[in-house]
Amino acid sequence: MCFKNLPIEFDSEGRARLREGVGDPYGLNDGDRRRSYTKVAVLERDPVQEGPRVRDWMIDPVTRVAGALAVHTKLDLEKREAVEGHSMAMLFRGYELILQGRDPRDAIDISSRACGVCGGVHSTVSSLAIEQAFGITPPPMGTIVRNLGEVAEMLYDHPLHLGLLAGPDYSSALVEVTNPELVVEARRTPAPNAATHGYQTIGDIMDAMNPLTGEYYVEALGITRLGREMCQLMYGKYPHPSTLVPGGVMTTLSTSTFNEFYNRLMKYVDYSKKLVGIWDDVIDFFLDQNPDYARVGDRPINLIQTGIWDQPEVYDGTYENASAWGDARWSTPGIIINGELLTTRLHDINMGIEEFVEHSFYEDYATDENMKFPQDSLGNPLSPYHAWNKQTIPKPTGRNFKEKYSWSTAPRWDRMTLETGTYGRMWTTALAQKHPTNDFYEATGDGIRILMPEATLPETEMFWKVPGRLNALERNRGRAYATAWTTAVGLGILLQAFDYWRRGETKTHTKFTIPKDERLGAGFWEAGRGYLTHHLHMDKGKLVNYQINTPSTWNASPRDPFGGLGPYEEAIIGTPILESVGDDDVKGIDVLRSIRSFDPCMPCTTHIDTGKGVITRELNSCSCTLD
Amino acid sequence: MHIVGLTWNCGKDPMTTENTTPTISNGLTIEPEPGINRVSGKPDPFASIGLRSRHMPTKRHFGALGPLEKIYLFWFVGASCDGCTIALTAATKPSAEDLMAGTVPGLPRVEVVHTVVSVESGAEWVNNMVMAENGELDAPFVICWEGSVMDETKSGTGYWMGLGEDPDTGRTVTSLEWLTRLAPKAAAVIAVGTCATWGGIPAAEGNVTGAMGTMDYLGKDFRSAFGVPVVNIPGCSPIGDNITETAAAVLLFLQGLAPLPEFDELGRPAWLFGETVHRHCPRAGYYEEGVFAEEYGDKECLVELGCWGPVVQCNIVERGNINGHGGCMQMGGICIGCTMPSFPDKFSPFYATPPGSALSTNTSRVVGGFIRRMRQVTMSDKNRSPRWDEEAPSGWARHKSEPMVANRITTKFYKAYQDSRKSFK
Repeated sequence: MCFKNLPIEFDSEGRARLREGVGDPYGLNDGDRRRSYTKVAVLERDPVQEGPRVRDWMIDPVTRVAGALAVHTKLDLEKREAVEGHSMAMLFRGYELILQGRDPRDAIDISSRACGVCGGVHSTVSSLAIEQAFGITPPPMGTIVRNLGEVAEMLYDHPLHLGLLAGPDYSSALVEVTNPELVVEARRTPAPNAATHGYQTIGDIMDAMNPLTGEYYVEALGITRLGREMCQLMYGKYPHPSTLVPGGVMTTLSTSTFNEFYNRLMKYVDYSKKLVGIWDDVIDFFLDQNPDYARVGDRPINLIQTGIWDQPEVYDGTYENASAWGDARWSTPGIIINGELLTTRLHDINMGIEEFVEHSFYEDYATDENMKFPQDSLGNPLSPYHAWNKQTIPKPTGRNFKEKYSWSTAPRWDRMTLETGTYGRMWTTALAQKHPTNDFYEATGDGIRILMPEATLPETEMFWKVPGRLNALERNRGRAYATAWTTAVGLGILLQAFDYWRRGETKTHTKFTIPKDERLGAGFWEAGRGYLTHHLHMDKGKLVNYQINTPSTWNASPRDPFGGLGPYEEAIIGTPILESVGDDDVKGIDVLRSIRSFDPCMPCTTHIDTGKGVITRELNSCSCTLD
Repeated sequence: MHIVGLTWNCGKDPMTTENTTPTISNGLTIEPEPGINRVSGKPDPFASIGLRSRHMPTKRHFGALGPLEKIYLFWFVGASCDGCTIALTAATKPSAEDLMAGTVPGLPRVEVVHTVVSVESGAEWVNNMVMAENGELDAPFVICWEGSVMDETKSGTGYWMGLGEDPDTGRTVTSLEWLTRLAPKAAAVIAVGTCATWGGIPAAEGNVTGAMGTMDYLGKDFRSAFGVPVVNIPGCSPIGDNITETAAAVLLFLQGLAPLPEFDELGRPAWLFGETVHRHCPRAGYYEEGVFAEEYGDKECLVELGCWGPVVQCNIVERGNINGHGGCMQMGGICIGCTMPSFPDKFSPFYATPPGSALSTNTSRVVGGFIRRMRQVTMSDKNRSPRWDEEAPSGWARHKSEPMVANRITTKFYKAYQDSRKSFK
């Protein structure tokens, strides 16, 4: 049984249906089906009991994340931990309203601009959604080119986050302020992987992580450019690709394309060995010094992933076969609850998704009138809160933590708070063991074995073991291993590309005409930070509704109607204050480490708008901005 | 990889004799009054995490290379996707990291205050802006604005884009308010990217936020503190080198080393946006010869698949997108006009043939088709060494090839022409 909270059951042939006798299957007030929340008890603390040593902090803006994020927390200096968390997306742009009524092909280039950090994934997932609606299948080389572009994008994304955004939090410059004793200790602790990365002590690594001046920091910026150059070989331009179309790609391929890609990819063979060595050393050092670092950013192992990198032989673009081609992906989709893999079927994932706006700056949209699709094309039940039924009416109002406080919606699956991330897709792939056979990585059920060939550094076998808990350090470690894993995937797909090239199957695109009847489409793909879907509804050759749901919408989500917290909020609450300075000097760096470990990316979190677009035109009490 | 010339990570800058602020081991200095917000005087928990780059000792520049040692860059966003920030980090000439580290002689070090790169968060980050507004910075500042300007009078009692809290009242300040407050005091306001310059996609039909370009918002009479109207660097996203090159050109002018770069009537760098895509497009030759791509992935001219290159002002085909690599038409993509003020609405739907192109492409088919055939004759002749006389001795040739009749005639005439020129040598 896949669903615990939604009344969805499966018949003997595996077809999903709503359980009979449930009056309002998607009602918000049915106490029996409320999920239990791991950290809800903390929230129900009586505020009066908070002693004078609870410090209320608004962190606006949170820096070294992409986009506009603010976080509210309370630090209990008695208990030495964070006891409150509110995550706030601060920006709204209204992209889907702009998409309504347009030529569906335009969605690729317009939705791409939802995010410039994940600058290629939106174009790709949009192409997938449109070709599903059009009913076309790309030729194998079209799928392969998309895969290689996505490999390249991840090879820019992960080093960027580790080097420039997360890295400084572990640099000697910052740790010197919050935990000077750690820096002293680090300087006399030899680095176990010194032979790989060249830094003799942990202190040397932490120096190299210093913002602007550190060797590793500066090198990371350079390596992100290499990844983006690779991405451009397949996608034309980065960010915002110019060659992605429904039915494949319009990239003009030649032997040079693959040569230029190959020679850049080989740089990552060595770089990923170094990266894994650096982060393993730093993370193990922190955990050795104080095991409580495992509590920083800790939350239950509940994950959702939509999978990436299609197998050209299996992928046919249809919704009907989505679970089959989803399972064939190099990175397996899936839902993990409390560390157990619940399902890998894209259909299960799709039918359990709901987006709530109880605490977001939108009006409720789940009316009978908006409930257009009670089922998908296979008869699977859909919620009135599902993307195909979603109609959002933005309503900016003053911020109030009891009511509305974020531009992000609260996506939930089976009404549970799920996190998504780079490490999440390794997690599902490792547990599912369904990926294509290849020479460079293997899922073992408890981890992923990665083989990096010899380059300047010798051949290296790495093993990413599925961690026992989901915390800030393991997120970062996972991202380092994911760089190696992505390189391994890239090697496998590149050999596949050569194989098709050798057979003369160089066609990259299938011709199409725009259908005039009513169609639905859904794209399932992942950004650097995980989950990504686009859902569209078109009729008479034009878009009627277009919905984007992004990884940081999941991760940065506010509370849901049932009192459940968003993943950032869960991660902040219970994070210990491990700084060795006096109360007055506490910086809350561990709260920031918690948030940054998710690799927040806010631009695409908060584009969300569709529907009638009714704007309340109240007089702005602080309209000094435009006087 | 070692950065040559970075002196401050080994203690303190040897060229700086006075060093009054406390430094930590790697030379970064810490906040002199930890825990106190210098503006509000209130306790500020994030104050001393402010290892702000601006507290790094300034490297001393040679006097001959200009008076400015340092300049602040406040990079704010409105309705933005952060793509322009990402584009900036792709620049190589000069690179963002070189500008930030101050390792380009002659260019001042650029102290960047940007949510993506700043070390400090929250109130302490906001404090940077308060200091700029109060004139407390020790060097001039420039504003780069990314993303459209959204009309906050349409956001009710809330905000479209909040960016920090007012240090005294705790009120959420919109990013637009920061622009409004700081722009007149900035040395220059640079709109980066098509959203910031002209409004871009957030300002397209159907938007509810009242989005517009920076120039539209600040008005045509706007002048910065240095007397400059809004500088516009369009592109979605712009080429990173277009951003840093424009910045470097202006800075070299301010240093008295180079002429003032030229801007066109829309405030665009004239040397970057003066030419159409088509004039330098690697596929333009196909257009000339009347050959057009029919399917996605074809190598020929893309006009009939929807490319607007012949009328769009952009230099991506000359410069490439990153490090000289990539770009739209180079790799197979059409030009959708993303640098232009009317993007996207006047270019949509993107994948339809531009209506005006039929006349020009068909003309080209007739004229260019004839020229192409003439060229093929000449090419075939030029592929034959004079030593080969009748047949190329190549093992790669599938068929025995003999010169066409036309080749023999042209060769004969060209030989005669060459002979006639020889007498003048």
